[in-house]
Amino acid sequence: MSVDVEQILRPVDHPMPPFPPKYFTLATGETMVIRQISRDEIPDVLPHVEALVHHDRDYYDVVSARVYSELLAHHKHRYQDQYVLVAQCDGHLAAVVNGRSVDATYGMSLHTLGLRRGLRVGAHAFAAKMEYHMDFLGHKEVLIVAESPIGFRRWMIEYKLEKRFAIPHELGGCPSFSLTKELFDRARGSLIVGQRPVPAELLKKAEAAILPPTDPPKAAPDFLAATRAKYDSTGSAIIARLPKKN
Amino acid sequence: MQKQILGYKCKKCGAVHYPYRSRCKKCGHTEWKGLDIVFDTVPLPDTGKLLTFTDVYALPADFEAVKLSLGIVELEGGQRMTARLNIERPEIGMKVKGKVELVRDNSYQKNFGMVFYADK
Amino acid sequence: MRDIYVIGTGITSFTRLEYPLAEIAAYPAVAALRDAGIDKVDHIYVSNMGGGRVNHQTGLASAVVDHLSMFPVGAETIENGPASGASAIKTAAMAIGSGMFETVLVTGAERMNEVNALDATDFVASLSHPLAEAIYGVTLPSLAGMFARLYMHKYGVTERHLAMVAIKNHANACLNQFAHVQTKITMEGILDGKEAATNNPPIALPLRFFDVCPVSDGGAAVILASAEVAKDVAKKTGKPLVKLAGFGQATDTHAVHEREDPTSLTAVKIAAANAFKMAKLAPKDVSVAELHDAFTILEIAESEEVGFFERGKGHLALERGETQIGGKLPINTSGGLKARGHAVGATGVAQAHEIILQLRGEAGKRQVKDAKVGFTCNFGGFGNNVVCLAFVRE
Repeated sequence: MSVDVEQILRPVDHPMPPFPPKYFTLATGETMVIRQISRDEIPDVLPHVEALVHHDRDYYDVVSARVYSELLAHHKHRYQDQYVLVAQCDGHLAAVVNGRSVDATYGMSLHTLGLRRGLRVGAHAFAAKMEYHMDFLGHKEVLIVAESPIGFRRWMIEYKLEKRFAIPHELGGCPSFSLTKELFDRARGSLIVGQRPVPAELLKKAEAAILPPTDPPKAAPDFLAATRAKYDSTGSAIIARLPKKN
Repeated sequence: MQKQILGYKCKKCGAVHYPYRSRCKKCGHTEWKGLDIVFDTVPLPDTGKLLTFTDVYALPADFEAVKLSLGIVELEGGQRMTARLNIERPEIGMKVKGKVELVRDNSYQKNFGMVFYADK
Repeated sequence: MRDIYVIGTGITSFTRLEYPLAEIAAYPAVAALRDAGIDKVDHIYVSNMGGGRVNHQTGLASAVVDHLSMFPVGAETIENGPASGASAIKTAAMAIGSGMFETVLVTGAERMNEVNALDATDFVASLSHPLAEAIYGVTLPSLAGMFARLYMHKYGVTERHLAMVAIKNHANACLNQFAHVQTKITMEGILDGKEAATNNPPIALPLRFFDVCPVSDGGAAVILASAEVAKDVAKKTGKPLVKLAGFGQATDTHAVHEREDPTSLTAVKIAAANAFKMAKLAPKDVSVAELHDAFTILEIAESEEVGFFERGKGHLALERGETQIGGKLPINTSGGLKARGHAVGATGVAQAHEIILQLRGEAGKRQVKDAKVGFTCNFGGFGNNVVCLAFVRE
């Protein structure tokens, strides 16, 4: 009985070619691999997204709450045609990006969640996502919105995205912007970076396990009088940090 | 009427300076007329050569552009000025010619300044 | 004028701090008092640039006195743009040198991260000339970009040299627990590699992301004292005596385009010369220096203007590794503004803090062997107000 209901509730995904993994050299000299993950790997990613759900700086809370729900729904077969890419440095999670295919023409960019700050990981991951839509899924346009002003500056302004305000974006019904094939081809030189194929050993390490992020955004403490002691009983423990153990 | 950028000429030694300052840069003189400080004003030349330039991406909040092209121009006669550039391929030493246009508009203040173009 | 000594120093981590501004100024002050083993001073100077506009806190010095429970001691805030820190130290030095006070506390603090990055850029851009520069959308990076382009054109400095400065300073900061950015970077990652253009995007060409210092919150403090008090403290703490042997300051035109020679940092040259003259020292006597590298090009240019290297040859010394820890003249062992961080009002004091640690032999893994003479250059505006300090271990 329940199997029949499941057949009704579960969307049937259209065939989507897989994203061929690629790798990048970051400013630190480290290598980062971006690869597509399957539904089975989503539970490994969820806890790291959950950690940011109440982080009220830079819109991390809105983005991670939404990413959490999208990934969970995808995992439980309640999202149509979604893909998820992760960026890993030596196995450690550095970013999660996702989106979906609306139809043959339109792609819907969902989120870009950077988990390692200061190294432009988000920029690499976003570009990989756009490459997937344009070069592999064959979309003519990708609909995009930004939740944070930084995102707006990095994508809408920098890539001169076209306005498609008549189309409500799936993220909250907000007016969409669009990366068209034309804009993408023009920006290809700067947008498409990274190399393929990923060396076998690197890929093996990435596929073996999704390890926790090494330097994730930390929640800002609240120092209002009544709550301060909860975070900082010493009075200044966070104002001067202890040496790193290395 | 086309706006012009003005230089300030010292009434004692004749040195021209831009931007405005209250004492002459060369001789230190301040000319008084009653309670007013007076300088002669002379329009600055609108041609010169490009000394240096940059494409800046880190912009103040009221600019929606991706980047701005700025430069320092040495005008005929030796005065220099900082200005916006509207030149596709700027080169140090190239001849430029400018005119005054709207350069900053942050909704409560409109600023006019020089924009330089390549001078063929 | 009497001799002036340093008896204590303290610092916070340079990072994103959620504390109120007065507290960020108070913490290093208390650390400095503990370092000196004293619990009162005759006067306090606070250095800060953004308090009034960014943090809605005017009268900062008074707030800091209260935070330290040091009323009724007198205090003022010294504001000289990014050179506020060194200006405050210079002012304190004159207060002691004149005989007016015996001990003076200087504490600098900044908390730019109370506003977002765009507003912080806006605020720092207020240093530029309102009518001749600001109206065009000039921000400090754009002034540095134009300066860098001309400098590179004239002296053959390349993007590779700029990257070398960043890589060196990042590596130094990894040895500094208080530094803002403690990540090592590589030439492949920021310049040579295929992804370098994305890892290191343009900010104000030819300057890129890793050529520009971060916006940090932080505080630093030093306590200056007369010879009598200093000798007393040295007896109790056993720490070497460090003397503020000289200081110098100079100004230049406000609008950068009006500088005599657009590749010269004349104010740096004059301020440094004045500091060396007062200290009766020469550039070649310096063991370690903290130069104001808000933009990587400035470390190279300043190293020449203060007299460490011949004009146009600073980048060659950098190439030879002379400015690394262990080299002939280590520059920015703390990580500099680039990696230790730039909390505008605190930076000048943080530079002094590093020099004091070096001269006392307390710099841990960053220690320059047998450091005897230390030098700082604190650059205000874009080179239109510069203060240099010279310290000597006795």
